[in-house]
Amino acid sequence: MKHLHRRQFLRDLGISAAAFPFLSGLSSITGAPAPQRRQRLTIMFSPNGTIPNEFWSDQEGDQFEFKSILKPLEAFKKQTLLLHGVANKVKGDGDQHMRGMSCLLTCDELLKGNIMGGGGNPAGWAGNISIDQELKNFLQSKTSTRTRFGSLEFGVAVPDRADPWTRMSYAGGNQPIAPIDDPHQVLKKIYGQMKDKESLVSILDDVREDLKRVSSKLSARDKALLDQHMTLVRGLEQDLKDADKQGKLAHPVPKIDPSIELVNDNTPQISRIQIDLLVNALSNDMARVATLQYMRSVGMAQMRWLGIDEGHHSLSHDPDDKKESYEKLMKINTWFAGEFAYLAKRLSETPEPAGEGSMLDNTLLVWTNELGKGNTHSLDNIPYVMVGGGAGFKMGRSLKFDKAAHNRMWMSVAHSMGHDLKTFGKAELCEGGALELS
Amino acid sequence: MLSFPLPLRFLRLSLLTSGTFLFFTATYAAEAEHPGAAIYRNMCVECHGGNGQGVDGKYDDALSGERSLASLTRYIEKSMPEDKEGTCVGDDAKNVAAYIYDAFYSPEAQNRLHPPAKDLSRLTSPQFRASVMDLVGHFSVRAGQERILNMGVGLKATYRGVELPKPGEPVVDTTAKKGIKAKRPNKTIDKVEPAVFFHFGADSPEKEVLEAEQFQNRWDGSVFAEETGLYEFSIKTENGARLWVNDDSDKRPLIDAWVSAGPEVREEKKTIFLIGGRTYRLMLDHFKFKEKSASIELWWKPPHGVKEVIPKRVLSTERVPERMIISTNFPADDRSAGYERGTTISKAWDQAVTEAAVTTAEYVTERLDRFTGSKPGAADRADKLKAFASEFVKTAFRRPLNDEQKKLYVEAQFQKAKTPEQAVKRVILFTLESPQFLYPDLMDRDKPDDYDEASRLALALWDSLPDKELLDAAAAAKLNTRDQVSAHARRMIADSRLKMKTNGFFHHWLDFERAEATSKDAKMFPDFNEEMLADLRESLMEFINQVVWSEKSDYRELLQADYLLLNERLGKFYGKPVSGDEFQRVSFDPKQRAGVVTHPYLLASLAYSKQSSPIQRGVFLTRNIVGMSLKPPVKAVVFEDSHFNPKLTMREKITELTSNDSCMSCHRLINPLGFSLENFDAVGRWRTKDNNKPVNAVSDFASNDGKTVHFTGPRDVVNYVADNPSGHRSFIRHLFNHLVKQQIPAYGPKALEDLQKNFTASGCNIQKLIAEIAVVAASDGVTANTPIAKP
Repeated sequence: MKHLHRRQFLRDLGISAAAFPFLSGLSSITGAPAPQRRQRLTIMFSPNGTIPNEFWSDQEGDQFEFKSILKPLEAFKKQTLLLHGVANKVKGDGDQHMRGMSCLLTCDELLKGNIMGGGGNPAGWAGNISIDQELKNFLQSKTSTRTRFGSLEFGVAVPDRADPWTRMSYAGGNQPIAPIDDPHQVLKKIYGQMKDKESLVSILDDVREDLKRVSSKLSARDKALLDQHMTLVRGLEQDLKDADKQGKLAHPVPKIDPSIELVNDNTPQISRIQIDLLVNALSNDMARVATLQYMRSVGMAQMRWLGIDEGHHSLSHDPDDKKESYEKLMKINTWFAGEFAYLAKRLSETPEPAGEGSMLDNTLLVWTNELGKGNTHSLDNIPYVMVGGGAGFKMGRSLKFDKAAHNRMWMSVAHSMGHDLKTFGKAELCEGGALELS
Repeated sequence: MLSFPLPLRFLRLSLLTSGTFLFFTATYAAEAEHPGAAIYRNMCVECHGGNGQGVDGKYDDALSGERSLASLTRYIEKSMPEDKEGTCVGDDAKNVAAYIYDAFYSPEAQNRLHPPAKDLSRLTSPQFRASVMDLVGHFSVRAGQERILNMGVGLKATYRGVELPKPGEPVVDTTAKKGIKAKRPNKTIDKVEPAVFFHFGADSPEKEVLEAEQFQNRWDGSVFAEETGLYEFSIKTENGARLWVNDDSDKRPLIDAWVSAGPEVREEKKTIFLIGGRTYRLMLDHFKFKEKSASIELWWKPPHGVKEVIPKRVLSTERVPERMIISTNFPADDRSAGYERGTTISKAWDQAVTEAAVTTAEYVTERLDRFTGSKPGAADRADKLKAFASEFVKTAFRRPLNDEQKKLYVEAQFQKAKTPEQAVKRVILFTLESPQFLYPDLMDRDKPDDYDEASRLALALWDSLPDKELLDAAAAAKLNTRDQVSAHARRMIADSRLKMKTNGFFHHWLDFERAEATSKDAKMFPDFNEEMLADLRESLMEFINQVVWSEKSDYRELLQADYLLLNERLGKFYGKPVSGDEFQRVSFDPKQRAGVVTHPYLLASLAYSKQSSPIQRGVFLTRNIVGMSLKPPVKAVVFEDSHFNPKLTMREKITELTSNDSCMSCHRLINPLGFSLENFDAVGRWRTKDNNKPVNAVSDFASNDGKTVHFTGPRDVVNYVADNPSGHRSFIRHLFNHLVKQQIPAYGPKALEDLQKNFTASGCNIQKLIAEIAVVAASDGVTANTPIAKP
């Protein structure tokens, strides 16, 4: 069999090669009104467990107080749903961190493999698609909800290595998806074509001028070829201008600092840039599903911007009565809450491009973690905090469950977006069906 | 132009044909009419037009060709005028042939009537790809890294693991939590391995020295890509592995199979576009942790090749820097003149160039810190980027920039762009779209200078930009004499880029495109499969490479060799058992095999799916080997086997099919050559019977110098061709076209003759011919300060 170049393939389809890099997908970023409400889902991850006593509200129901870690969310309390008592009950190979991370969104056992953790058997990648990708595929399967990317996977300070501790999104069993933690790369992915186009338009004038200048010195015979070349360049210029007219963005491309370096100490700035890019991409309707992954499971970020020099994972192992570490872990988790709140704030400030209210009214934000508690490596009481009106859940509540399998919670999320899953992940853990959250 | 005015040429000719003209003066001669002219007017003009240009609806093609005068005369006597054959014979035929020959038929006449000139050419797509690769490589490849010295040795292997206890030492439990950092000391073993194909079973790679439970291996070095195209790399392992190809950042593995998925061996494949004639970094990591067994295999499937364990001959332990690969799909280059050239442009081409320019700009800006040795925001950032931009344009333009260019291509872009990074992007886009880069021989100077010579040499031999030595020589005005240019051409012969380009020539000359598409009747030839075809291709290319890159580099050996290179599979099929995967030289009866024309790859491609095809073989031999031009068939006739008496041999069928006079005007040449190969069946095996009758490979061939040559088989054909000037001219012309992308007559009326003379004198040395062609191309239009010395 002969391999087809992608572009050859497009050419065979009758799509002009020039149109391709600049035009493809532009229709979906034009912000044309969609007939129905744009439901969105964004899942944020932070690692190494939380401090349960400083995280979970003591109360149940709609009258509840935030504990200190969740204080940054105060402004969104009415749109918040706390889900205490949800557990990752997936067993099998791999240590708690590995299963915590790679089963978090996939809800099924890991494949056999060669990655040895701090206990248990060695394991491989997740064996199932993750819920974000499942929902992406569902939305992409219908023209009314299809977007250019379907889903976008953002990262912040994710180390440059691929193993079950660093991946939570899976396109399918054994198919991890790497989050993009470089804002420049994100920018290139979502707006790169437009940037290139700008550079190109700006030099084509010069190209034509130079062709003219050179051609004037040539013999008539040679000149003919360059004249033809000039005509081609003019045509290209026109094509690009026409494409420009079609491709106006609902929201302008955010400007980011070109000199930001991807180092630990720049994490706070990178985090905000990534959130801005995420909100921008959603507002331009490039995707309806997004993930935002901070570091990785067993992540060793040194949060010097919080006055903490130790690595996060080492701290998370310290016993509860080691006060200094306890406070540092509180600070760390509060900082994550602050980033989550910033995401909610940005969405709440952005009017829904194609409908009523703010974008937050149509987006479900979920903040989670691979462990319930760092020093016990417990997979019970995994932090789940939801904010926003995207799912149509009854918000402004603190709910308590008794070791409900997280498969069931993700089923609720899927159902809220119209995807009527009977089970998700390991079927026996889905017993009892979706959690009632409406 | 050196040609005579027409009447004078007639005078010269008439001296030979008739003494009476001796008494005329030149002035008279100018008014006198050639005796053949009147005959032409009476008998030929109706169909062929006043100047042999042809007449619509009668005989469309122009009368021009490569027959000798004698051959033309004979042809007219026999076949002209159509339907009144036999009315133009004897002196009439001689006279009219002489008139036609000199007025417009002969190549000399054609050159006189249509003075040849070089066509302005853009870079062809291989030239564009090679030039961009070397342009970017100018900043990433350091001196000494361009050439691999130990290609063919294999890869550098490093085995790392836990040392086994020495005799007497207690065995220590090594199942520590921290993986490879066990209680026993680590041990590293370095080796050179010819290939990666290891089945360690339950053992370690060094079972006497290393623990088997956990270990980590690396194979590092580089791989040589012989051809341009898509390469499929694959690794097979039940453990963890990562493969990098052309990535020296280690960040973008081509295949990431680090995390295994159970105990079964799995195969992971990825495809990458590589440009041929180049070496690429290759690195493979493999690790085992507690699995029951370990194994690793590294395979590839090169373009047109078979899937194989990457062989030693393309592996080196030396590391090379990452190269910029333009994989943009370019529209096919113009081939209307029989070779690929850059004389036409199209929208699709302009789009491909633009896309490639954008890709390059991105590639470079991503690596800007490394290429410029500066950091974003640093005080000297703008200066360093500007210096980089100037160097980039200069390298692309193949010469120092003049003030106007400096201003337009560098200064103005830095003024217009918001950031220096953005400016670099603009400079790159602008440069790769510029006429100076795209049209390397653009003459906006009065005459070519040393830089033009450097540029032409690099294009002719490497399809690329001049290297540092050439540019230094140009700067020092040391490309002034023919000897100096020659010395560079000879130096440049050793480069693998030339090997790649020469391979391209042989692909073209021997019509590999047709051969690659060969397929045979599966019932009749069940063993003749894709692998067989790929092996045959390799066998032929390897043979050609051995001959061309040997010291003698003798063109005649290509035609006269009485051996084939066979491996086990081919040996079995062609009746000469050989053992081993390697290709070995196997001798044949000289009557049965004679160089390229009897190579089964060509014989099989020039055949039908079940039967031989004397026509395809004959046409190929006439045009490409004997070097005579053929007109397209007067009418299209399809060979339908069922139309013939089933008892006939192929030769008898073809003789019947082409018996008509209008067919025979060309088949008189084609058939004898094709019949000489009738001892070979549809897959190129020797046979003595066709359709249960003895094969008749004997024929008489009327050569274009008017002689009749008796052929009893391929050996006679190649012996006739090997020292035949017409064959030499054809070979030289093909090679020239392929290297220079222009027609030889544009380089002067004597260019071909000179090349041919020197070629014959050199013992038909192909390498010397290549160098001389490059010198001819480079020196065109150059007026040297010192007289040009003949080599």
